[in-house]
Amino acid sequence: MNNFDLLDRTDTINGLLARYGVKFGIYKNGTFKEQLFPFDAIPRVIEKEEFAYLERGLKQRVAALNLFLKDIYNEKKIVKDGVVPEDFVYAASGYLVPCEGVTPPKGVFSHISGIDLVLGKDGVWYILEDNLRVPSGASYPMIARELCRRASPRTFNETPIEDNRNYAQLLKHTLDYVNTGGLSVVMTPGRYNAAYFEHSYLAEQMRVPLVTYSDLEVENDYLYFKGYAGRKERVGAVYRRISDEYMDPMTFNPESVIGVPHIFDVYRKGNVALLNAPGNGIADDKGIYYFVPKMIKYYLGEEPILHNAPTYLPFYEEDMKYVLEKFDTLVLKDVAEAGGYGVVFGSKMTKAEKEKFIAMLKAEPRRFIAQEVIDFCDIPIQDRGQVVERKVDLRAFVLTAEEPVVWKSGLTRFSRNPDSFIVNSSQGGGFKDTWVLSQ
Amino acid sequence: METLSFHYHLQIRFDQPVHDHHFTLRCFPQSDSRQRIDNLQTAVYPNEFITDSYDSFGNHCVMGRAGQPHNRFTADVTGVAFTGLSESVPAGNPWREHLFRQQTHLTYPDAQLVAFADSLPVYSSALDTAQAVMEAVADAIVYTSGVTNVDTTAAEAFALKKGVCQDYSHMMLSVLREQKIMARYVVGMLMGEGLSHAWVEVKDGDSWYGFDPTNRIRVSDQHIKISHGRDYRDCRINQGHFYGYGTQTQEISVSVQRKEA
Repeated sequence: MNNFDLLDRTDTINGLLARYGVKFGIYKNGTFKEQLFPFDAIPRVIEKEEFAYLERGLKQRVAALNLFLKDIYNEKKIVKDGVVPEDFVYAASGYLVPCEGVTPPKGVFSHISGIDLVLGKDGVWYILEDNLRVPSGASYPMIARELCRRASPRTFNETPIEDNRNYAQLLKHTLDYVNTGGLSVVMTPGRYNAAYFEHSYLAEQMRVPLVTYSDLEVENDYLYFKGYAGRKERVGAVYRRISDEYMDPMTFNPESVIGVPHIFDVYRKGNVALLNAPGNGIADDKGIYYFVPKMIKYYLGEEPILHNAPTYLPFYEEDMKYVLEKFDTLVLKDVAEAGGYGVVFGSKMTKAEKEKFIAMLKAEPRRFIAQEVIDFCDIPIQDRGQVVERKVDLRAFVLTAEEPVVWKSGLTRFSRNPDSFIVNSSQGGGFKDTWVLSQ
Repeated sequence: METLSFHYHLQIRFDQPVHDHHFTLRCFPQSDSRQRIDNLQTAVYPNEFITDSYDSFGNHCVMGRAGQPHNRFTADVTGVAFTGLSESVPAGNPWREHLFRQQTHLTYPDAQLVAFADSLPVYSSALDTAQAVMEAVADAIVYTSGVTNVDTTAAEAFALKKGVCQDYSHMMLSVLREQKIMARYVVGMLMGEGLSHAWVEVKDGDSWYGFDPTNRIRVSDQHIKISHGRDYRDCRINQGHFYGYGTQTQEISVSVQRKEA
């Protein structure tokens, strides 16, 4: 594949990304810092057939997760039938009591799902986690593709690549599909949010208002956008990039000053769609992850197409025994943490750390999951003029309106540290464009 | 059976004006198998709008906004309750109600409270067990106002050996849930109390039965139920979110009287 002139322009592309403000923010020691998200021009290429396989698996998984959410906040058949133990539902931090009995417009809970996968050295794709709350990252490959096309039009004329510039269109349709009447808007917590670039970019690309809490107001049973001239317009769908906790001080965290009071009441009455639905955290909980293949069988009566990484729940005695036996070969994850935090490798602990961890594990088995370490495949990146191999993952985006649709692209993140398996952007990684071949 | 007329009065004074005040009130008794509510009247001032809402436990709420600066906010709820129509209220979706077996931040027991729970007898009937727990809890604390507040946990109240109806109820919930019995927190009004009251409902079979640990009695026709939830936090009578400086003082008075025929 001839993409050499694209590679030569890596610096230009990174320069443009910086100029367009393609950054993410992190809080370190209480201060807000913005970092560039380094782009590597060597694309991650996925063959047509392979992507078609991923597509089938992702649609199936997201369909099952949606059914799980509907069930868990209503009838709870899966608990009643003993497939998912009660303790993993009611005790999970992502389970939100106020969502009990609420079915969102058109029954869609996870409108925008970010599913993280890795390709193992054994050639098998594994699902690492499901992100069904506010998954971010689609804007990076969107703008990178745009800039790459400008930097090297030839590459894109001569290579059969699926055009990924339809994301905004897909997203807009996802909002409009559940809209209960009125505007669709993107709600950001504000300028100092880690993904502010993405919020503004998606609003701009969809041509919908980008709003904060102060632009929205509840009156009677409806939500309104207060225009700059003082005119009020009804809002029917909010793509909110603010977490459940801060969304409405009247129902969730009363200390929140960036939420909209009573927005949840309007949602409960079916008078506005919130994307994604509040309470989705119960389905992307690390403890619940273990049960997703079982959910697929339970709700769809199908065999799961995509595999989970082999996972153990110390909550079950048998699994606890295995985890203690094979401790050094496993990776342990705290179910309450995200963003690459709370992940420890058995092999990397000192004796004292290990003892302390095992005591904690025995005291609170529900809090942890253990997984086999997957050796994921390396992919070339450019590093100071040299091509070296690094670990990558893939965040696939699945948008659900009438049915789940997989965006023919995704966010490929790589770890800059050759020894690290952790590719989260908050841990200093970079990203690549993801090419899905059309032939 | 009784016919009771009630008046719930809430007043909040702000020493400096506040504005953009959003509120949710949860002080409206509803008809169920135990009680029938008639002629419910609500007055909330000031307000730009008020509207009804129901939370996930089915409690009746009134939400609204007072946008203009104000120093005083009042809510008055009056009506007539026909009480003691039944001993219990029917259960809902049993799997959803398993939620009431989970401890919450306010009911989570410490080692002392667990030991206390373990020392109590467990009977085959949840009602007999609850009776024993109620008596033990009533013996364990001395009713004292002003030593605990809305954030006091069951374990803290148990250590203090003092508290008010909220603390009695949280302690009873904590012990019952330790014994895997489903139990929920109830807010209501009691004849002769003068303030809002709290008690506990215990699930036995397909019904919920009321226990009032503060008064060591089963819930009777003197009790008017307003709301229920996992603990105090699910049943907050008044929640507000507003802009402004200054401090607020809240005053609640409840009057429940036998209605003359």
